[in-house]
Amino acid sequence: MLSILILMPFLSALGVLLPVSKAFRLKLFLVISLFYGLIVASFWKHLPAGEYHGFIVLDPLGLIMLSIIGFLYLSVSIFMMGYFNHEQRSTRIFMACLMLLLSTMTLASVSYHLGLLWVAIEATTLFSAPLICFHRNQQSLQATWRYLLICSVGIALALMGTFFLAIAAHEVHTLLLPSLLKGASSLSVDWLKLSIIFFVVGYGCKMGLAPTHSWKPEAYGQAPGMVGVIMAGALAQCSFLGLLRISQICNKTGLADFYSSILIVSGLLSLVVPALFILGEKNIKRAFAYSSIEHMGLLVLGLGMGAVGLYGALFHMINNALAKVIMFLTAGSVAQKYGSTRTDEVTGVIHIYPVTGVLLIAAFLAGIGIFPFATFHSELLILNAAIISRHFLLAAVGVSCLAVMFIGIGKIVLGMIHGKPKEPLIAKKENFYMNMAIAMAVVLLAGIGLWMPGALKHLISDAVLLTGAV
Amino acid sequence: MTTWVDTSCIITVFLALIILSNYRVTAMIRIFALQSFVLSLLPFFLHAYSLSGRDIFIVIVTMVLKAALAPSILFWAIRHVSMRSEIKPILGFGSSIILGVILIAGAFWVSSSLKLPGGKPASDLILPCSLSTVLLGFMIMVTRTRAVTQVLGYLILENGIFLFAVSLFDVMPVLIEMGILLDIFVAVFIMAIVVNHINEEFEKDLASVSRSKMGETF
Repeated sequence: MLSILILMPFLSALGVLLPVSKAFRLKLFLVISLFYGLIVASFWKHLPAGEYHGFIVLDPLGLIMLSIIGFLYLSVSIFMMGYFNHEQRSTRIFMACLMLLLSTMTLASVSYHLGLLWVAIEATTLFSAPLICFHRNQQSLQATWRYLLICSVGIALALMGTFFLAIAAHEVHTLLLPSLLKGASSLSVDWLKLSIIFFVVGYGCKMGLAPTHSWKPEAYGQAPGMVGVIMAGALAQCSFLGLLRISQICNKTGLADFYSSILIVSGLLSLVVPALFILGEKNIKRAFAYSSIEHMGLLVLGLGMGAVGLYGALFHMINNALAKVIMFLTAGSVAQKYGSTRTDEVTGVIHIYPVTGVLLIAAFLAGIGIFPFATFHSELLILNAAIISRHFLLAAVGVSCLAVMFIGIGKIVLGMIHGKPKEPLIAKKENFYMNMAIAMAVVLLAGIGLWMPGALKHLISDAVLLTGAV
Repeated sequence: MTTWVDTSCIITVFLALIILSNYRVTAMIRIFALQSFVLSLLPFFLHAYSLSGRDIFIVIVTMVLKAALAPSILFWAIRHVSMRSEIKPILGFGSSIILGVILIAGAFWVSSSLKLPGGKPASDLILPCSLSTVLLGFMIMVTRTRAVTQVLGYLILENGIFLFAVSLFDVMPVLIEMGILLDIFVAVFIMAIVVNHINEEFEKDLASVSRSKMGETF
């Protein structure tokens, strides 16, 4: 089943490359996303068996990731049914890259060999780069270049980390995760420490953790809204999965304290840096990119805080992805209607487009983490974990940074919603598909916030048990 | 065969240093191709007496991808650009070389304190030389302003990592080894396409942008 999940999008990418009509591509994309979502949903009943001699295995951590990817692609494919009505550019390369990205992200989620994981994550970098310069102009090319270069170097460092781990595991003589965990006591501690540092820098670069975050506002600011969703919601969290795999090894080898001290420092930096930049920001997509850095910081912080924090972080992975759907799709919808995402060019949204205006408010609240959206709960869990583990100062800094983000994003969003309505570029019409895709995520995120299903709770607890965090 | 391994390691670092002190893009690409060629022969020298099928396979794939295809893609990317030399590197000739030598010394100093567990490696030079090449590649990326040169810096960095990986080939299954090589190749391919787009964008409004800025990464 797992190889079908990887091969299906790959083959359909080839199909999309053929000279077919735009409508056919959109429909194929929707069908593939639906089918993908159904297969992943069937995994919630029982996990499939491993394939290829244990190189590809689905565990609870991978299932969380696959569910996120499945939902994101489903909502993006519905959104695109409306979005591409008004877009003249060719969608051939764009759709093919989205499909290849789906395939490689799936591979990253289920790979149980750290070398294979690296190959998959590097491939996601490559296939996401062409998505950023969909509107091929100087700014977007600049953003693509920056993304490609910074992330390639980061990923190259992660490759060094992988090789260092291979040296540390010279007695185990493989990089398969179960064998590494079984032979944890024979790993060479010095080389393991070195490899951990390279892994955190490398995969952290791909996640957009400060101080290697500089590509993020550029790339998310230039990319179309759908790409922002996939990159912030799925791609960045795939790299987080890499860090989770490392934490499995660290928890077995007694390096958990060493690892968590690194994670806490980088998490703290990623909370503080966006708070410094957000207040002067005028572009809503860039503001959302800073918010994404903040959320990545929270994830890493949670991972560094032991079992309670990890539970919060895993829960936050899901909520963050849903919130990113609301945020970036709404921003994409505004961008298409006004031809801009800057506060001085977009005003009075709620007067012209009432539904989009309401969704924009929802995006703001979900992104910041206001009740009833579930982001509120997971942020609280992570801060709670900080207090339990007696990092009082850290919790205080975290809360104040979140407050600054609230002010910064609130200023931009409210400025867009209110004010004198500005004549938009195209006809004053809401699009049903676009709004439905966003509304789906709003309902789901608020729903999880009000009532958390037992299955989800079990899945996250299983995942925490799997990593062996205490 | 240790002498051959040692020689290849030293040649790799030396070629990286030459690229660092070179301004002409075409010459840099050729030197990079030579470096990749030297590196791709390493498995022969390492396992000279017990050469297996996989060694030959890896040698051939590396040679084709790194020494032949990657350089030709880079040549393709710069085919339109009339200015084929680095315009204004952040660091000059002399200071580049001096800083490069300092980096090499640093790499040797660091690796003297790193002990490889489990048996002596084929050559003591592999670790320091690969670290030096990684650092030199990184420096080329940072101090050069043109897109093509930055790609070259990235490739040299990858060559450094490759040198390190060669000594551990038996840990990674050959398929994943291939995956890594293929990924790096696709990376160069996509980077070259983006470089080409950047050049085209600049050519569109040559009137407003001075010609010397062509191909620079903003």
